[in-house]
Amino acid sequence: MASYMSMGEAHRRITEYLNRFTDVVSYQDGSSLKQLLSLSSESPSFLALADALNIFQDANRVIRQADKYSQYAEIVAPLFRAMQSYRVGHFAESYQAFEKSANAFIQEFRNWESAWALEALYVVVYEIRILAERADRELASNGKTPEKLKAAGSFLMKVFGVLAGKGPKRVGALYVTCQLFKVYFKLGTVHLCRSVIRSIETARIFDFEEFPVRDKVTYMYYTGRLEVLNENFPAADHKLSYALSHCDPQSVANIRMILKYLIPVKLSIGILPKRTLLEKYNLVEYNDIVLAMRRGDLRLLRHALEQHEDRFLRSGVYLVLEKLELQVYQRLVKKIYMIQKQKDPSKAHQIKLEVIVKALKWLQMEMDIDEVECIMSILIYKNLVKGYFAHKSKVAVLSKQDPFPKLNGKPINS
Amino acid sequence: MERWQPRGRGRGRGRGRYSSSSFGQSNDSGPSKASNHARKTTTNRNDAEDLPNLIGTCPFMCPIEERTQRERLRDLAIFERLNGNPSKSSSTLAVKKFCRTISSKDLHNVDLRPLPVLQHTLNHLLTIFESKEHEHPFEAVHDFVFDRTRSIRQDLSMQNIITGHQAVNIYEQIVKFHIISQYKLRRNSSNSNALSPMHHLNMEQLTKTLTSLYHLYDTNRTSSFTNEAEFYSFYVLLHLDSNHQPTGESLSLWFKTLPFSIIKSKEMMFTRKLLRCFRFGNYKSFLHYVETEASCLQYYVLEPYICEIRAFGLGCLNHGGYKLNPYPLLDICKVLIMEECDVESFCKDCGLDTFVSDEGVKFMPTKQTSFCYPKGSQRYYPLVSNRLKKFYDEAFGEML
Repeated sequence: MASYMSMGEAHRRITEYLNRFTDVVSYQDGSSLKQLLSLSSESPSFLALADALNIFQDANRVIRQADKYSQYAEIVAPLFRAMQSYRVGHFAESYQAFEKSANAFIQEFRNWESAWALEALYVVVYEIRILAERADRELASNGKTPEKLKAAGSFLMKVFGVLAGKGPKRVGALYVTCQLFKVYFKLGTVHLCRSVIRSIETARIFDFEEFPVRDKVTYMYYTGRLEVLNENFPAADHKLSYALSHCDPQSVANIRMILKYLIPVKLSIGILPKRTLLEKYNLVEYNDIVLAMRRGDLRLLRHALEQHEDRFLRSGVYLVLEKLELQVYQRLVKKIYMIQKQKDPSKAHQIKLEVIVKALKWLQMEMDIDEVECIMSILIYKNLVKGYFAHKSKVAVLSKQDPFPKLNGKPINS
Repeated sequence: MERWQPRGRGRGRGRGRYSSSSFGQSNDSGPSKASNHARKTTTNRNDAEDLPNLIGTCPFMCPIEERTQRERLRDLAIFERLNGNPSKSSSTLAVKKFCRTISSKDLHNVDLRPLPVLQHTLNHLLTIFESKEHEHPFEAVHDFVFDRTRSIRQDLSMQNIITGHQAVNIYEQIVKFHIISQYKLRRNSSNSNALSPMHHLNMEQLTKTLTSLYHLYDTNRTSSFTNEAEFYSFYVLLHLDSNHQPTGESLSLWFKTLPFSIIKSKEMMFTRKLLRCFRFGNYKSFLHYVETEASCLQYYVLEPYICEIRAFGLGCLNHGGYKLNPYPLLDICKVLIMEECDVESFCKDCGLDTFVSDEGVKFMPTKQTSFCYPKGSQRYYPLVSNRLKKFYDEAFGEML
């Protein structure tokens, strides 16, 4: 709760803010401006100002008092209202007002020739998203339809349009794009990412290398995740690996997020992470999966999927991990082959299907010989095993050369 | 089929606030879905707040004004004609048509049918659909029920009816209609090479109705619906093959939003098992599980994939089989769950030869280079199954 503030004090704080605002704009001081626009930071000065506004109640009068204030009325008046609503926890209202202020800010921003206010714009864009998320939570808890985040998406598209020009402001477009990705991913409407991706990647005004590294990493992370959802593994590998290699090594949380999606991709192309990596970044849910792949233990794979089912489904990698079964089967057959090779190298390449049935039984998986033949036929067809199967004698005959081709970083062809 | 227009109102006018496309496309409840980036609104308010609360009062399956209009224009479907008279219907025969260009500004309560009337209308339509008499070709029956159920959904949408077991029940029954129709249309078109446009349109409306249904399930999370899990399973079964997605969205994304109770339901676990088999290419298990566990409606949805996975299986056997071990057709029967004569025919469809040994046993040689996937509209060979046979017969009645 705000401690008691007198009307005089409140008035002073408001005019102080207005003076700072107008000065900062006329001096084109971008980094100072951005501090004046952040609500969610809940800095002491913001809280005090918000309290002052709520006490004084008629900030508009103060704005109208001087020309130098009133020229920014369209930005500041709704901004004040947003602050007031925010302070008393009315987030839907706060969002509404902030969006109005942001709209007016964009109009001014357009008129400013240089990109001096870009950092301030970033703050506005960020606040739009964060406020919208809080607003939607509030609406949902009151039994109403959450629609502010969707509105934020529309607004950000507008901002993108403002930045998509030839001037120096265009380097801001990637930041806005990443905020849009976050909005769309949160809403589940990821198909909307397509149009903004197309703009970034095909418009001639944009040169990807010009964008700030931080934004490039975030961009590649999200586009990489889209590739994972669509199971385009080579593209996913490329993008997520880019994000990983350009990510700040100190930001462990971000690295973890990238790895969460990169690991299933790597597994799909036959590349297994070290246990130490999984432990360093607390991705132990992948431990058993990697172990299952090393051992050819189908039961362990299925068990690991079940154990972390919810987590894998929520992150959207479950189906990708399930498909690793093919490689696990390959590994199992390879292990049988290696055991046979030790006993009798000349006969190792002939594997009785019955032996595979027994091995699976040992793993507590009941499978009849016909199904084993079916599995072998698939492994051969997909080039995970080189050889053939003799239906009559129920034997799989492996090629003497390279019977278990490595994936070599390529996904299994279907 | 001639399109009936409401007289004067809406015809030829520019868009109302809710353009026809929003109803044609999504049948989602709530006109707030109609807003998009391109449309400017002068206020920030949610569109739904501006919509007058429409409550249907039409007591008939078809509003009287529409019926008399269509009688005059001789625009009556066969099933609406009284004693075959093309210009006379009755309140027990006429059913409101789907209207593409209606704008909700021009709607009146008297044009919309309330929930009980909609249920009654649906019952009437389904009676026609399920009738075992074969006076008219199936396409005509389908066409009629297709259009009139679309109109039912339109009425529900315009009245913003998004809660309650009755509404859920209506949507479920309409989904069921689309699934059965899809199955029958597919069978009927297997003679020609291309799938009829009706087939694509039906699939389109099937997915739209499913989407509306899921929206209803979602907004009624506190109640429980007995069929919910099965109806969610249809979505997965419609998207088994990532190359043929009707809605173009990845299944991984879809699963993210599914409630835990549904994910763990018997129907969804079964469907996920099928999905795993299909993605793996495990033709033997896939066919086996379909044969032993699929429900009637699930089977109807799955049928297109059976040919596909059988072809894949045949391709695998041909590719990996030992050159000196031609594959006995009887063994293929077991794996692909087909009759022997069908296997012979299917091999031919896939460009593969078969031969008869001196002892009269039929074989398929392996390592043939001529293998290909069956082209065009695939010929369907029934799964040899007493359990599934009931489902084949159910859809077609005592035909032939």
